[in-house]
Amino acid sequence: MTVTREPPEQTEPEKREITGAQIGQKAITPYLFSFPAILAVSAILAFPVLYGIWQSLYRAPELGLDEEFVGTQNYIDMFQDPGFWNAMSRTGLFVGGSLVVGTVLGLFFAFALFRAMGRLRFMRAVTLAPYLISNVAAAVMFRILFQSDIGLINSFLDWFGLDGPSWLSDTTWAMAVVIFTQVWTDIPLTILLLLGGLMTIDQSYLDAALVDGASAWQRARMLTIPLLAPQLVITTVWLSYSTLTGLGVVLALTGGGPLGATTTLAMEMYNVAFRSLRFNEALALATFILVLNAVLTLMYVAVARRYEIEV
Amino acid sequence: MVDAPVDVSRADPTRHIAGQNQSRIAKTGRRLLVGVPLFLLGLWTFIPFLITISVSFKTKAETFASLGLIPSQPTIQGYREVLSDPNFLSAFMNSLVVGIGTAILTIIIALPAAYAFARFKFRGRHLLLLFTLLPRLVPTIGVMVPIYRLAVATDMLDRRITLIIVYTGMLAPLAVWLMVGFFQQIPRDIEEAADVDGASLWNRMRYIVMPLAAPALITIAVLAFREAWNEFTLVLVLTTTPDTRTLPFALFKLGQSEGISNFPAEAAFAILTVIPFILVYTRIERYVVAGLTAGSSK
Repeated sequence: MTVTREPPEQTEPEKREITGAQIGQKAITPYLFSFPAILAVSAILAFPVLYGIWQSLYRAPELGLDEEFVGTQNYIDMFQDPGFWNAMSRTGLFVGGSLVVGTVLGLFFAFALFRAMGRLRFMRAVTLAPYLISNVAAAVMFRILFQSDIGLINSFLDWFGLDGPSWLSDTTWAMAVVIFTQVWTDIPLTILLLLGGLMTIDQSYLDAALVDGASAWQRARMLTIPLLAPQLVITTVWLSYSTLTGLGVVLALTGGGPLGATTTLAMEMYNVAFRSLRFNEALALATFILVLNAVLTLMYVAVARRYEIEV
Repeated sequence: MVDAPVDVSRADPTRHIAGQNQSRIAKTGRRLLVGVPLFLLGLWTFIPFLITISVSFKTKAETFASLGLIPSQPTIQGYREVLSDPNFLSAFMNSLVVGIGTAILTIIIALPAAYAFARFKFRGRHLLLLFTLLPRLVPTIGVMVPIYRLAVATDMLDRRITLIIVYTGMLAPLAVWLMVGFFQQIPRDIEEAADVDGASLWNRMRYIVMPLAAPALITIAVLAFREAWNEFTLVLVLTTTPDTRTLPFALFKLGQSEGISNFPAEAAFAILTVIPFILVYTRIERYVVAGLTAGSSK
């Protein structure tokens, strides 16, 4: 037992940190350094949220009059407003539809890219193109695409002898176009995340399944999809976040119409605030959206912890 | 991350056993299996762009009359209309100013903060965790009305500097978070050596940290510029005149104002807002990827 050990380096953790004294700087330096960022974030994110929640407890009796404290009245009225429940059901459709379409297409395209790796890497760059353009530009593109009389989609349907609807003025189909457009703008990230997941899957599992005679479908269903679970969870939550809080596509494409068919919660909030100028009531809606979103985010954190994903 | 080559043939151990004919069929099958989905991906991504480019070169009448992808009488009338529109030119300038301003301000604010979070032991370091969660907890829709009312109250409405400050605040958490990760990868030894040699904090930042952090800085600049260039809902409520509007708002206005849709002009406008990115895209692609994945996974 004559193993000579090096003395434990007790001071090591201390030494690794550059402390004020060590480098001859005042201990105030880190505070000075981080102050502008903390100030900016407080002023633009934290304070407005708190200010908004506080203001949602007030209301002006008439447009132009001073606001009075009304407690939770704005929230009570909100839950009794049929417009709110319409917006809830529209939001459900929008979020649910985007989730299904986005995840299915995202998986399909991620598999496509995965198999093409090496030879067709530039396809990944292609995939990202929708990420670079604004929601408004995307809305213009899809408005042209879904033009009722002569748009590409309807001409294509006409080719098969089908009579396409006037998409954007049809109360049923307008939502479908909005979902389609939203998914188009959101899918680059979905594909990248799922592709990242596919790249980390150990190929030997799949080889073993192949030797055992598993079909392609069986391999996908029993192996790849379960192994992709963490990435599927992330994309699901991210897509829900993006659609629940997304306003740009809806506003630029349909403005919530026709007849409120695409008026999601975010769109309803915009209408109440900037079309009816009932700001306090709009803030009650905004707070509701924030709570929904916070629940989603916390679910995400919980799930991420379970799968040991770095958050 | 995505650059590792994958040997597709490995996925098929039967390849070596199968006969010549069978393997040829299998090969064609595999090619189709790879090729068809990729083709669909290309269609999905590019059809909206292609149609828009096609419409932008059509006459106004043709957009209501015929479908053909190739315009029957190609014209640059749409582009001429947009480029001679003072609203487009001022919006373009505004987008440029706000985009560059946001990129610079975000870096000025985020760089020292990230350095402090990554290198110093100080109370307040736990704020970093909050920084990672805040952008997710506070989406734009949640602060839209409060920021508008605060801007009205402080007489900050309709100013470009307001947009720059607001976008910077929105991006700062992500920028800090991204850069902390980056700084933590720079070995302390380099800096400690410089410290021993008597380099000041400023000189260490200037000659060691910043050059090493260049890729992170570019990623953040691209991310900030893209956000300012494309953001629509905040500029919609924070500006009231064409003097401060950015491109998305101007394009939205164009779509709203027409009695009968002027599709060629709208299409040309949309294409012109995308072009700056397309021009530099091949050079900045990896920074775009980095920013995109960073923006999502927290």
